[in-house]
Amino acid sequence: MADSEQKSVNPQTAQTSAARATQRAADEADNVEIAPPDLSWMRNTLQWGTRAKPTKNGLTINALNIGVYGDIPDFWDDQTRKPRGAYPVPGVAPLGFEVREKHELWADNAADLYEEAIQRRWVPATDIPWQTIQPLPDDVEAAFCQLCTELSQNASIEIEVIGAWQQKLSYGFHEVKLFLASQMFDNARHFEAFRKRALSNGGGLGLESKGEINRMLLESTGGWPETVVMLHLLRGAFTFTLYRYGELFAHNPAEKILFARCLQDKARHIAYGLSHLRYATSHNPDKAIVFSRLMNIAERVFVRELNDPVLKEALAIIFGGGIEGARSGMLQYERMMGDFARQYLANMEYIGVPREAGFPQELAKLMEA
Amino acid sequence: MPQFPSTEWFQQVSDIFNADESYQQAGGGLCDATMGIKVAAQSYILVFEGAECGDVRQVPEADLTEADFYLDMPTHEWKEMLRNIKDNNGADLDHTLNTLDMGKDEGLALTMNGDQYRQDFFYRYNQTFQYFFDASARIDTHFTKED
Repeated sequence: MADSEQKSVNPQTAQTSAARATQRAADEADNVEIAPPDLSWMRNTLQWGTRAKPTKNGLTINALNIGVYGDIPDFWDDQTRKPRGAYPVPGVAPLGFEVREKHELWADNAADLYEEAIQRRWVPATDIPWQTIQPLPDDVEAAFCQLCTELSQNASIEIEVIGAWQQKLSYGFHEVKLFLASQMFDNARHFEAFRKRALSNGGGLGLESKGEINRMLLESTGGWPETVVMLHLLRGAFTFTLYRYGELFAHNPAEKILFARCLQDKARHIAYGLSHLRYATSHNPDKAIVFSRLMNIAERVFVRELNDPVLKEALAIIFGGGIEGARSGMLQYERMMGDFARQYLANMEYIGVPREAGFPQELAKLMEA
Repeated sequence: MPQFPSTEWFQQVSDIFNADESYQQAGGGLCDATMGIKVAAQSYILVFEGAECGDVRQVPEADLTEADFYLDMPTHEWKEMLRNIKDNNGADLDHTLNTLDMGKDEGLALTMNGDQYRQDFFYRYNQTFQYFFDASARIDTHFTKED
């Protein structure tokens, strides 16, 4: 408990209040007929006497996986909201969780990533030195605002995609649900931070993105792993690359820190995607074929969206330092897309789905840039 | 005045880093990663555990395989980065680890084990490593003449 919290509750006062309440209840009990308490529920526990111990990183979620509380089944045979290890109550109406197979959501690193997200959090309002932002030429400011508009929008899409799936993921795999909750919070922070940058330097929001990938993600209902491969590896690698280049071309410490912090968060999201999808393909080999066929479509939708000139031109202006330099900026854009393609292909290789054969030529040729 | 690179130099920076709680905030914090450092013919391993850099040691180059990733720059670039950090009390816009990584064809953060997941620790804990090197602004570094 933080010092401030400790100071706000005086133990003696609390004890006195509790004693008064108990006395008042006892006084009232003399005048009321009360049935003898049924304490049989107190015996209903699957495992009593559990004493989880803090690790060097504190009392972590993983440290609680002791005995029955650490039994993580391959199939979660329960359709209620029963926490893993809680005593089952008969007669609870089913809730219809769709994702109950462990290989459909599990990642061995999920609990650690959750702890990491909580402990490495940052605050856009106060951790970004907003006062260091200086006026930019109008063309550069407009381009930067367009980039921020799309990054902010993409972050909000991620919240909705994950949020739509959360209620479908079984309670037995709470490590994953907790991590995904932290990813949604990260996405909220990214939405907030890029919106703040767009609205803090004399510019304003730009155009909504074309949104074909966004729609594909929002409408991805076939399976969680299929959503993850598109959200965490394809879109994730693109956003990750945009953050890296955003950091590189930052005009001031505020933008530098903004992109650097978002980059860390995005790397953590991708780490879940890599771990989960590798688990999925190693426990269900059919998934590798499914992912390969799915990405044949998704990559082409992605390429089609890239043909929209708005983001491409905005990035070329940022990289070139203005409209006059946009020609050289476009070469930098192609280099960026080559970096994205390499990152994405390496990620797919890691999960056991090599993509070189079916990879769109439009992206493959950019790797030569 | 410790010389860069040396175990003594990394240990002194590590002591400053571990003692300052501000490095655990604003995007820093929990970090479990093994970072390698390669400066010309010298190699080092730095082990980050929880909130601390817990182990610093010089190793043969081949042992960089145990690192999740390693940072490799010519000696004069290391020197430039550290002087910039000293002059500005932290890296300026052109000398952050990510920016230096982007400026190299092969990148600054490399891997000897070929593990993409572990190599990405460079990005996942980037602020921690930046804080670590920024902490070097608080010591005086000696560079050898041939650097």
